Amino acid sequence: MTRAKGPGTATGVSSIPEIGVALEALRAPFHPGGQTAFLSDLTVGELILLEEIGYRPIEIVSGAGSASWCPQFTTAGTEAKMWGRAIASAIAEARAGIASEVSQRGADGVVAMRLELEREPANQLTCTMLGTAVRGEEGGGHTGPAARGPFTTTLSAREFHVLTRAGYRAAGIVLGVSVVGFSARSASQSLGLVRDNVELEGQTTALYSAREEAMGMMEREAVSLGADGVVAVELSERPVNTMLTHAVELMAIGTAVRRGPRGHESLDPQLQLALDDPAAEVFTSG
Amino acid sequence: MGSDTGAFRATTRVRRTPTSDLSVAAAAALRRVGLSPVGFVMGSAVMQLASTITGNVYGGTAMGGGIGWGGLLSSARASGSYVESYPCAHFGFVVNAEHYGFNAENTVLAASLFEGYRLALSRIQDEAVGLGAHGVVGVKLSFEHMVGAAGTATFLATGTAVLHRGSSPLASPFLTNASGQNFERLIGLGYVAAGLAVGVGVVYVQPNCLARGDLTAVGPNPQIPAAVGVARGRARQWLASTAHSMGEGVVHTEWSDRRFVRYGESWNQLALAVGTAVRRYKTEVEPLMPRAIVPLRP
Repeated sequence: MTRAKGPGTATGVSSIPEIGVALEALRAPFHPGGQTAFLSDLTVGELILLEEIGYRPIEIVSGAGSASWCPQFTTAGTEAKMWGRAIASAIAEARAGIASEVSQRGADGVVAMRLELEREPANQLTCTMLGTAVRGEEGGGHTGPAARGPFTTTLSAREFHVLTRAGYRAAGIVLGVSVVGFSARSASQSLGLVRDNVELEGQTTALYSAREEAMGMMEREAVSLGADGVVAVELSERPVNTMLTHAVELMAIGTAVRRGPRGHESLDPQLQLALDDPAAEVFTSG
Repeated sequence: MGSDTGAFRATTRVRRTPTSDLSVAAAAALRRVGLSPVGFVMGSAVMQLASTITGNVYGGTAMGGGIGWGGLLSSARASGSYVESYPCAHFGFVVNAEHYGFNAENTVLAASLFEGYRLALSRIQDEAVGLGAHGVVGVKLSFEHMVGAAGTATFLATGTAVLHRGSSPLASPFLTNASGQNFERLIGLGYVAAGLAVGVGVVYVQPNCLARGDLTAVGPNPQIPAAVGVARGRARQWLASTAHSMGEGVVHTEWSDRRFVRYGESWNQLALAVGTAVRRYKTEVEPLMPRAIVPLRP
């Protein structure tokens, strides 16, 4: 495939009168040629975004992990380590599974991934990941960080395109999980008989320490990948307050990134004013 | 997808004006490519799915290493497909077959679902042939359960047939789930849509104590990830093999995982994939590198 590199040389898809040629290609029966076939769940737009930065799709890859824990009797002073570890292991197992499928196919990494967390029953977490394994073109300066194994990322194809053009490389998905217990409310508070407006300091403190632990774990993972930072962190917090369980769960998942050899490269964005009336919804996520 | 559309014959509508379910932008994109809509087309099949569970899944001798779990398990074993047993994690403390678990590939349900998709797709293609169209864009493919009729499924494919004036008709028009805009981008990239590829994978899951979240047996469980992995792997295999004869790649795969038809605590872990097989028609293409912009908000 011949293809001139360089941004902004074409403004759109104006050179199109090829439909007759394209339909002609459908007349002959297809002879599967060999090893170039790919499977992807990319949209056409995503395929273009990846091909333009030198990545080609290889195959759909997936990973899954699942673990359960016993939440009972978690309260102030109990560390809920097993609970936090169970959640982390479910996600880590899915991440390891998809990474091993990526390396089995000789790909550099996986992009445009769907990460799903399912809780069923409530003391169990199943994490599944599904995305498209991609390989960078040799010599194009876009090859993946093969030195440390394949990369995984929660970034969409659009975000990955921007990240790569800006001179960064995805290093891997990093995660931090923490579960911290707090003491139960007093009986009168539970029954709604207290007239004072007071802060539940134990619960606030538990949320802060859960944040510290989860972010700390995520940062340690990023350091171990040799990353310069973490982007697109999704933070989710879930308090559990039942008869026997008083704890707050905190989960942080993001993508660790490394600066490329040339450092940051400006995308030099241009201001654009849409003349639609009313203004078009141009900010919808891609 | 083949031309065998079963015994059913659709009534042919008399068409006077072209109809379409295209958005204005999609129609404009197709017009730029040189395609015009010729009619809204549909392919459908209502199926009674083959039963896989003969009586009780615990039928036969339940004890003894998970052998003899009844119809599904023995048929999976006999056909040499994926079966895996997950013993009770309480071993030595609780003697109760309830805590046993197993995964077994449900090839019967997978084949039934695949057949439903195949019928719907070959019928939508037949309608396109009837209109002399070159293809169908924006194909939406779905299946749903009829309320009150257990074990049935309705497969439905809808889309808009399109035509290039100046080209003679194709014996088998292409089908794609890509929108008009994405079809235009695809042509710009040097690919043409060749057809829809379908993949189905089903694994029946009878969870053991770990996989059902029993509070007295906790920790990582390998059973659910294995079921998801096998179902997805099978769907991916079928997707690749149906695409193999159509083109060198698959894009736009709409992937869905679901848990389907539960018997008590057990379920069928489903993986469904529908994507567009694409064929390269030219290798020299202009770069499409998008320009970065910052929209000014009013």
